[in-house]
Amino acid sequence: MTTSQSTTSRETTFRLRRYDPDKDSAPHWDTYTLKVPDGMTVLEALHQIKAEQEPTLAWRSSCRMGVCGSCGMFINNLPMLACQTQVLHLNSDVVTVAPLPNYPNVKDLVPDLEPLIEKHAAIKPFIIHPNSMEVDEPTGEFLQSAEEREAYSQFTYCIKCGLCLAACPTVATDPLFLGPQALAQAYRYTADNRDCGLQERLEAIDVFHGPYQCHMAGACSQACPKGVDPAFGIQLLKRTLVLDSIGFGKKKSQVAKLVPLADVVKQIEEFAPPPRSVNQ
Amino acid sequence: MRETRLWSLHLLAIPVIFVLLGMHLAIMHYAPVFYGMSVDKAREFGTMIERGKSVAQFILYILLLIAGLYHGLYGLRGILRELPLTPTLIKVVDVGILTFGLLIFALGTYVTWWTFTFKVGG
Amino acid sequence: MNTKPTGYNNRLGLKGWAYAGRYSIERYLYLGHRLSGLGLIAYMVLHIVETANRIRGEQAWEGLMALFASPPFKVIEYLLFAMAVFHAMNGVRLILVELGFFLGKPKEPIYPYSTSVLRHRPLTYVVMILAGLLIIFGGSSMFFK
Repeated sequence: MTTSQSTTSRETTFRLRRYDPDKDSAPHWDTYTLKVPDGMTVLEALHQIKAEQEPTLAWRSSCRMGVCGSCGMFINNLPMLACQTQVLHLNSDVVTVAPLPNYPNVKDLVPDLEPLIEKHAAIKPFIIHPNSMEVDEPTGEFLQSAEEREAYSQFTYCIKCGLCLAACPTVATDPLFLGPQALAQAYRYTADNRDCGLQERLEAIDVFHGPYQCHMAGACSQACPKGVDPAFGIQLLKRTLVLDSIGFGKKKSQVAKLVPLADVVKQIEEFAPPPRSVNQ
Repeated sequence: MRETRLWSLHLLAIPVIFVLLGMHLAIMHYAPVFYGMSVDKAREFGTMIERGKSVAQFILYILLLIAGLYHGLYGLRGILRELPLTPTLIKVVDVGILTFGLLIFALGTYVTWWTFTFKVGG
Repeated sequence: MNTKPTGYNNRLGLKGWAYAGRYSIERYLYLGHRLSGLGLIAYMVLHIVETANRIRGEQAWEGLMALFASPPFKVIEYLLFAMAVFHAMNGVRLILVELGFFLGKPKEPIYPYSTSVLRHRPLTYVVMILAGLLIIFGGSSMFFK
């Protein structure tokens, strides 16, 4: 069944939360009706409402294909990406769209994601290698096997959409809690075999508002649109911290070895020799 | 390391509570099964004193007090600190809970010692 | 960052703890664990204070025991027992899971995504069934004389 040939459509009522900081003291709800064809996403519905009914409607979106993380919204009381949510799949005559909770609401459906970015920056989201010059001015490659990569790879898919912090019960009350995104990223870097920066990150993460205020409610992993599973990252981070506190942390000697560029080239030539020229 | 250590102790208290509280509940509520005496008899003053005079009971009750109070009050502190508090209130919660815990521990230890040293009939 | 856009406070607050909506069962278990924990710590403190009454002598003690043998207290006792069993059994799940056990191994996310929350669901069911059985059959001690 393709969207262009389908005749399924449903008259749907959209309740959108509106807030204009210049005019309103508090948000209110406005209602719009739309005949929604099969395949239309919430984002497309918003575009149509803005074009035909409410030109002042504001929201944030960009790629419309689930990779930029801009269009996170609270749709029927669950955090979702508007571009990845088909209206008819919500199975409801009434669709409520609100801005992501647990972030300040700038206007209409636009959240202020600054708290997300600040917490992410606080955990030092970059490789910390004993040879810091090498990280900035590389002279070779760090060795990392497929298994070593798989140990942290799923946490690299984070698109910073912020849905996880909107879902988290602890973020709902605690403005200082680092949140699933930052904590999962802290694990992503700690588990990377090129990184040995756990000690430097401890000041930011081994605090009250760190991973121990996660109580495995699992809402963040349920909300995550990219399968990052931040709850998993946080529990693994707790394990890492406990092991480190009793002396079983990663040693500097266990960090990935540096292979000088000349050796890298030699290895490439061994495994994938240059093709013979046509005339030979 | 601070918070990791506090949390690790919170977790270490769990098996201690599991075993000791399990024993405590068994003694109190399953007295007919384990001791062949009625539940009412198990709670009588005399039976309680008799139980409280064993050294093992004394030590295990103190252990249960420590583990139970630490685990419970660390959890309560966590719940309160997850609310948006001012720096002053944070200090009030931390110091208040620690003080309260020490006071209740002191009371429980005193009562356990009182039972251990109780002179029957005098 | 030079400009900080502020906005309307959209934090869910305590509703974020209490309302689990269409989130998964683990979110409800989080709420249950929190409530049962608060009930248990309140009870533990009261229990220590109440059993300290023994120092007031045998008569005071027996009076207290007679009060606690009455039907309303027996019901409260059973509810406390149920809370303790739930908290303990869910706690068994949490201590295992929060140290990274029963969650599977990290691997490339391929749609439809499997999450650690879903992967440890069998453990959740086992723990809840055990809790249910203990609460039902453990309560039989109420009828002991």
